[in-house]
Amino acid sequence: MTGSAATQATQSEDTWIPSSCGMCYNQCGIRGHRVDGTLVKIEGNPENPIGRGRLCARGLAGIQLLYDPHRVNRPLRRTNPEKGIGVDPVWKEIGWDEALDEITDRLARVREEDPRGFFFSGTVISLAPLMHALGTFLPAFGSPSAFVSDGHHCGNAEHILARTLHASVTTNPDVAHCDHLLLFGCQAGLGTYYALTTMAQDVADARDRGMKVVVVDPFMGTAAEKADEWVPIKPGSDGALACAILNLLVNEYRIFDADYLRDHADGPYLLTDDGWYARDTETGKPLVWDVDAGALRPFDAPDLGAVALEGHYEVENATCRTVFQALREQVAKWTPEAAEEVTTVPAALIRRMAREFGEAASIGSTIVIDGVELPLRPASALYFKGAHGHDNAWPTSLAIELINEVVGASNVPGGLLGTNPVCLGHPDTGFPRWQPGPDADGLLEAGALLYNDPYGRSPGWPPPPESADLPNLRDLVGWPITTCFTPAALNDRENFSFDHAPQVLLNYGSNLLMSVARPEVCFEAFKDAFVVCVNLHSDETAEALADIVLPDACYLERLDPLPNFTRHHHPVGMGDWGHTIRQPLVEPLYERRHFSEVLLELARRLGITEPMNLLTNNLFGLVAPHALEGGAEYEWREIADRAYKSWFGEERGLAWFEEHGVVTWPKKVEEVFWKPFIHARAPLYNEWVKRSGEQVAKIALDRNMKGVDTSGFVALPDWRPCRAWRPRDGFDLQAIYYRVPWHTFSMTYENPWLDEISRGEPYSYFVCINTATARAKGIEDGDPLEVEGADGGTIRGRARLTEGVHPEVLAVANNGGHWAKGMPFARGKGIFFNQLLPMDLEHTDLVSLSMDCDARVRVRKVGEA
Amino acid sequence: MRLGMVIDLKRCIGCYGCQIACKAENGTRPGTTWARVVKREWGEYPDVKKLSIPVLCMHCGEPPCVEVCPTGASQKQESDGIVFVETDVCVGCRACVMACPYGARYYQDDERDYFEQGNNAYEQCVYSAHQKGVVEKCDFCRHRLARGDEPACSANCMCKARIFGDLDDPTSEVSRLIREEGGFQLNPELGTDPSVWYLPPER
Repeated sequence: MTGSAATQATQSEDTWIPSSCGMCYNQCGIRGHRVDGTLVKIEGNPENPIGRGRLCARGLAGIQLLYDPHRVNRPLRRTNPEKGIGVDPVWKEIGWDEALDEITDRLARVREEDPRGFFFSGTVISLAPLMHALGTFLPAFGSPSAFVSDGHHCGNAEHILARTLHASVTTNPDVAHCDHLLLFGCQAGLGTYYALTTMAQDVADARDRGMKVVVVDPFMGTAAEKADEWVPIKPGSDGALACAILNLLVNEYRIFDADYLRDHADGPYLLTDDGWYARDTETGKPLVWDVDAGALRPFDAPDLGAVALEGHYEVENATCRTVFQALREQVAKWTPEAAEEVTTVPAALIRRMAREFGEAASIGSTIVIDGVELPLRPASALYFKGAHGHDNAWPTSLAIELINEVVGASNVPGGLLGTNPVCLGHPDTGFPRWQPGPDADGLLEAGALLYNDPYGRSPGWPPPPESADLPNLRDLVGWPITTCFTPAALNDRENFSFDHAPQVLLNYGSNLLMSVARPEVCFEAFKDAFVVCVNLHSDETAEALADIVLPDACYLERLDPLPNFTRHHHPVGMGDWGHTIRQPLVEPLYERRHFSEVLLELARRLGITEPMNLLTNNLFGLVAPHALEGGAEYEWREIADRAYKSWFGEERGLAWFEEHGVVTWPKKVEEVFWKPFIHARAPLYNEWVKRSGEQVAKIALDRNMKGVDTSGFVALPDWRPCRAWRPRDGFDLQAIYYRVPWHTFSMTYENPWLDEISRGEPYSYFVCINTATARAKGIEDGDPLEVEGADGGTIRGRARLTEGVHPEVLAVANNGGHWAKGMPFARGKGIFFNQLLPMDLEHTDLVSLSMDCDARVRVRKVGEA
Repeated sequence: MRLGMVIDLKRCIGCYGCQIACKAENGTRPGTTWARVVKREWGEYPDVKKLSIPVLCMHCGEPPCVEVCPTGASQKQESDGIVFVETDVCVGCRACVMACPYGARYYQDDERDYFEQGNNAYEQCVYSAHQKGVVEKCDFCRHRLARGDEPACSANCMCKARIFGDLDDPTSEVSRLIREEGGFQLNPELGTDPSVWYLPPER
């Protein structure tokens, strides 16, 4: 033991310290037991509403990350000039000053020549430092070239719809009142997903109470294992199933919440033949049909009579239809039989699924909570990567979301809730505060998204795309907040007509060679850049690409003010608000440093402290007298103290949070179930997507870009096969990856306790193949397999014959199979699924920048794996 | 008083939190998992079932491990029925490991480390509590019970699938659950009378 904390601590120390987990993006409340300077135990903090004192296996195992002997402890410099995947960089330890001098020099040159040449990538696992970089350092530097490199595993399309329909970044069902939970490729409360440790408690309670769980998934993971009904489906076809359920609800069974659709959605807005809202010529406002007046009226006319939800109407000699009518007609082709052909889910089962969901929604029922009568819609449909990890992500996600919308199960008790889109503030200070409101068209506009802004300024609708300057398509499309498309665009630079190349890549906390797609994609994109990896290990990305590696402090060694992003993973539903601290349970060991402090130092060296300060005020919502001033230099602890005082008053500064860990107060019913209280309509019809599609097509045409297919920019739900569906000669199976509750992406494969789980568990280190499929190919349990992708890439692993997987599917857990020298424990454990995934325009949903996460493959038995 | 645990197979999602909660609390050596999870699968696609069955020492009423112990190291605590090993008395003959039908006992051979560098700072702190050459097992976290806390695995379970209490008290939650929710023991035919009970996964 050579760590500083242990040697500096007093001999009689025995203390418990509250903090926040960082083993996945959920950041649950923890407390650490430190004895004589050594952390000896991590457990859940019962006072923290995020987890309520209970942790998952990963959170409990974090101690083995802190003391992993393979961590990077000092800055490293590559001495082998050759870069390459699997090439030994021959690291040499250097001092921090030498490392920072060189990085500063490189950055200063880029900033002078063209700041866009500075690229940044980061991980959502370390959400707080990531946001610190994205929200302050990048804009202060003047570079927009950032991407979130685990975008592959991220929400993408889900985040867009969480924003348009629920005014937040993510969603979770109100399981406290839900009777029927329909999950598409998602394990909410049953293994993975947001607020897992809290949701697991609540979902178990709900299932005890009788909530039915139906899980649509090609593989029987932990959620399907617990489901009342497992509905295996062909990967990438969830949208067809959802369209059929919608069709049955709105056309055949006519189970829909007309009041909700009329008053809280754009259901009655009229659409012209060419697919735009019919608008009042004077005010430009969307028109509705006033049944009483027998006339067209603006949607918000003060003396509006009864409004038509269905039907066709004449507008200026043209025939219009309501949005709801258009939805009905749009999904009519998706009969259960048509959906069966695509999904392999029997039509009779689809009918029963739709009817049971619709009936469970108990349209018209109400409930009294805290003395307030509210609509009760105890049915939720929810989805994640299994459903939207495809290049048909947008229309698929929209179809699933609208199952909730048509029955009114949206932001009311029992339904799908945005993740805390309304907060009216701590009782003492009124901060933090945010809430959605209506835009000029009466449509929902989120109050605040990822950034911590106590004023809740509306981020507004996305600006119309005007250029393609960013090599991530983000300003083409506007809304995706996470994408890993950047490297693919860089590899297609001519097509995107970029006039700048990456000069410097600062890669924080992510192993992008493994997490994005097959490693060649990211390697090619950045092989000519000066690459700095700030990370815990010398991982595959560092070894292939990095010129310098900086030793990062892990979540147990660093201070993050306000680490929990309330609209991302804080539990939904009634209960308590909780704002927390992440603080060092031990001081950084060896020469590890917190990335946020490195950013402050780099800003000082680059002379951009003044804009950093301004942006820091914005990021943390620092208000007078706690706002940072001018170009003054502040310690990280000082900034944290000002953040806490700005939000929670003078008496609750950093010292208070260091001692207490979390401030809590009860949520109000009008915060949690805000929909009846805030008149802002959910857009069923996505005019903005249609508009974006036209703009993207125009830019592509202007620039003569190839491969930009805008047919997916649809305003209403639909389904089309993803690219991985295309028949390819001799490739008869679809490979998918699934998630287990004890691994996060690829990083946890280095953890010996979590490895011990996988080694004792029957599936996660194997290639799961349906027993009958395997036998037909002469494959027996345990046989070494080679899985070859139709789009390239080969993976190897042993066969696990199981009945719990679709016969046309191979299922692989998470993303293991490390090969870096710097992660010897993880090396060879699990299977590197992403090797099968190309990344390019063709395999990407351009609306959400989701990539196809499944692959057409064939499998054969080989010699020893 | 007879302390026992009810594991609700309906609530349990097989997340392995109990396995790691036990490791984190007791700092057990590599390969030792006093709490672990067994996974089973049956049926034929698409009518297939999977089940996660968390297991630990069953703290049997008639513990075969105690019976075979030649030194008296394996004991059943009179006051609460907890089966434990007095490691100072254990000679590591491993008769109990063979006798236990539930695979709950681990011989501390210290043959392997997690990391090739040997024990890290944390492991150096916690492994000192575990003698080599003896047999160890779950003792329902007696050190936690002594200060009024429940065992680590049940305190942490994020599905609240593990309920701890007094089986002799008919009014306790564990007794009520066993009575009202169809509680059963594993391998009752062995006559070991476990103090760990299970509730059926579907009910």
